[in-house]
Amino acid sequence: MLALDAVTFGYGSKPTYDFTMEAVAGEVTAIRGASGSGKSTLLDLIAGFLEPASGTIRIDGNTVNHLPPEQRPVSILFQSETLFEHLTAARNVALGLPHPDPARVAAALAELNLGDLGNQRAATLSGGQKQRVALARTLLRDKPVLLLDEPFSALDDETRAATRTLVQSLTRKQKWATVLVTHHADDIGAIADRVYRLESGRLETL
Amino acid sequence: MPRSASRVIPPRPLRLAGGAAIAVAIALLIGTTFWSILSAATGQPTAGSSTDIGYLIYITTLQAALSTVFSLIVGVALAWALNRLRFPGRTLVIGLFASAIVTPGIIVAFGLLAVWGRSGWLGGLGVPVFGLGGVVAAHIILDAAFAARILLARLDAIPEARLKTGQSLALSPWTRFANIDWPAIRGTLPGLAAIIFLLAFTSFPIVLLLGGGPAVQTLEVAIYAAARLDFDLVMAVKLALIQIALCSAIILASSALAPISTSLDRPAEPRWRDAGAAHVLQWLVLALALFGFAAPLLAVLADGFRGLGDVLTDRGFWGAALTSVLVGAASALLALVLGLLIAAARAATTSRVARVAIGAPAYAYLAVPAVALALGAFLFVRNLGVTPDAAAPLIVVIANALLSLPFVMAALAPLFEAIAQSRGRLIRSLGLGGVRQFTAIEWPLLARDVGLVLALSFCFSLGDLGVIALFDTQDFVTLPLLMVRALGAYRTNDAATIAALMLLLTIGAFITLPALFERLSRART
Repeated sequence: MLALDAVTFGYGSKPTYDFTMEAVAGEVTAIRGASGSGKSTLLDLIAGFLEPASGTIRIDGNTVNHLPPEQRPVSILFQSETLFEHLTAARNVALGLPHPDPARVAAALAELNLGDLGNQRAATLSGGQKQRVALARTLLRDKPVLLLDEPFSALDDETRAATRTLVQSLTRKQKWATVLVTHHADDIGAIADRVYRLESGRLETL
Repeated sequence: MPRSASRVIPPRPLRLAGGAAIAVAIALLIGTTFWSILSAATGQPTAGSSTDIGYLIYITTLQAALSTVFSLIVGVALAWALNRLRFPGRTLVIGLFASAIVTPGIIVAFGLLAVWGRSGWLGGLGVPVFGLGGVVAAHIILDAAFAARILLARLDAIPEARLKTGQSLALSPWTRFANIDWPAIRGTLPGLAAIIFLLAFTSFPIVLLLGGGPAVQTLEVAIYAAARLDFDLVMAVKLALIQIALCSAIILASSALAPISTSLDRPAEPRWRDAGAAHVLQWLVLALALFGFAAPLLAVLADGFRGLGDVLTDRGFWGAALTSVLVGAASALLALVLGLLIAAARAATTSRVARVAIGAPAYAYLAVPAVALALGAFLFVRNLGVTPDAAAPLIVVIANALLSLPFVMAALAPLFEAIAQSRGRLIRSLGLGGVRQFTAIEWPLLARDVGLVLALSFCFSLGDLGVIALFDTQDFVTLPLLMVRALGAYRTNDAATIAALMLLLTIGAFITLPALFERLSRART
């Protein structure tokens, strides 16, 4: 379970954002909002890349404000710059594991229909393929909180539907608290269990 | 209320500690050198050498200013020609000009003598090769080619859309240059001018060989002459302090100029080519530049192979060659390790003060030129009671490594910065440690540049004369020193052969090392 309690953040001395929300284990919590409304800022706060001015962030009851990103029980899929372009798809996925495990890497790639692209350099993949490789790595990390920033935006309709279903089923099975940031209503309608709207720096339950 | 903060850069305390330790060590070394020079300068009478310091500063500045202006003019013209012309072997020609940065000055000076000297290929034309004209010509050969290579990258990076717009407006070649090319290169010129001025201002072997005596010499050569020929250490120290002060002023002034940026963009094909008189002029510029740059090098090679047998059977040559290669390899490795540690540490912090404190000592050596550093080290070891013979190998290796360090930093630091800035969040989100960050991410991206900086450092060290000449010991002899000794003993054929072999060694290292490391990096991905 992920909980934000009056978490404030600002780029000057005055806070621009004030977030309070909950994401329950085994559920997909969607965040809607216009471009520039602060959706990515919210994910950066949860992941630890931004330090809040005040408020608490708790994961499974433990306050994580003081923890740096690498020590938080969180896996995150960024919207852009998701891969190391000079590495192969398989090596990009393997970086998500503390110790190399080719079998697990191959299985993760296969689950996202990327089984034959493992040895291809990331720089040569299409936008959709890159997004799926990054998603494979994120899912493989198997952390209690899964943060997804526009994860389906580069996918065609068919792949998009299959990938959404995969995220939803893994969330249920692994009991992840998944936070999905998107401005696509159909993604939210398809897999979200609860929805927040981000407007004027605050979250409102829908 | 506490302020919000960003945590994008992966924290690497070990890298910071390593970089800080290196920075302190370099600062201490340069400080000790400076202190040795200062303490030697106080309270001692001069040996009475008649050096006109005012004239020396004037002639050093004049030759550096002329070299800078003409190098930039030729460099712009050559870059313009290379940008427009397409011909078989163009890549090779560009590579030849790129190699100017590592071609030892002593070889160019020797090559000029072999072409334009009294008994040279074109000696009959009576072109004066000694004096101000010869020194400036040698600097132009080296620095214009270097300038052209950098300016060509700026011209090649002009966006295709801008070229298409110009082409659709049917701009004449001259209007095109004024409105498209010039805006692309003018920002690079001040920084480039500062580098060329500094290189010419501190020039040693070219001035030593072509200066033709006290009428045309740089402060660097005058320091050497005072210390080694006149045995006037106080005068040498006085000149070294002036040299350090002037170089520091040039560096301070140039730091206010925009740095030379690099571009990763690929040139668009096909290019818009000029026609008519401009096209003819471009071919003419290229032909003259090729002749000016390649003829001295070809002359070195051609003359060198005539006396090959004598030199190759000389045990002294093999000893000097081995010393040069070992000193070059040790200096290159040291420069690489220092550069990697400092660059990695700088990229691991967002604190401006820490970044300056860690990075500045790597560039401080620019202000303390080779001969001044060697003089300080010479005085320091003498005060310690160590003989120059015993200290020379270590000092030459360290001095040459420090000489290369600004170039190593220029090549490696931006990559470390870019990785930390653009992939820092990803690295932290994956929980990668410092070792894995280096082996999986940084090393494969750095490997080609590592090959390049090793080649640069090796070649700089191989061609160094400034540091080794000041020590000038019997047992520790490198190829440039052996060559100067051969010239001093009127064994011109031997000198030519040594120059030719040095040139081949330089070109070989410059071509093979980057290619080798690029192959290694591919194997890792």
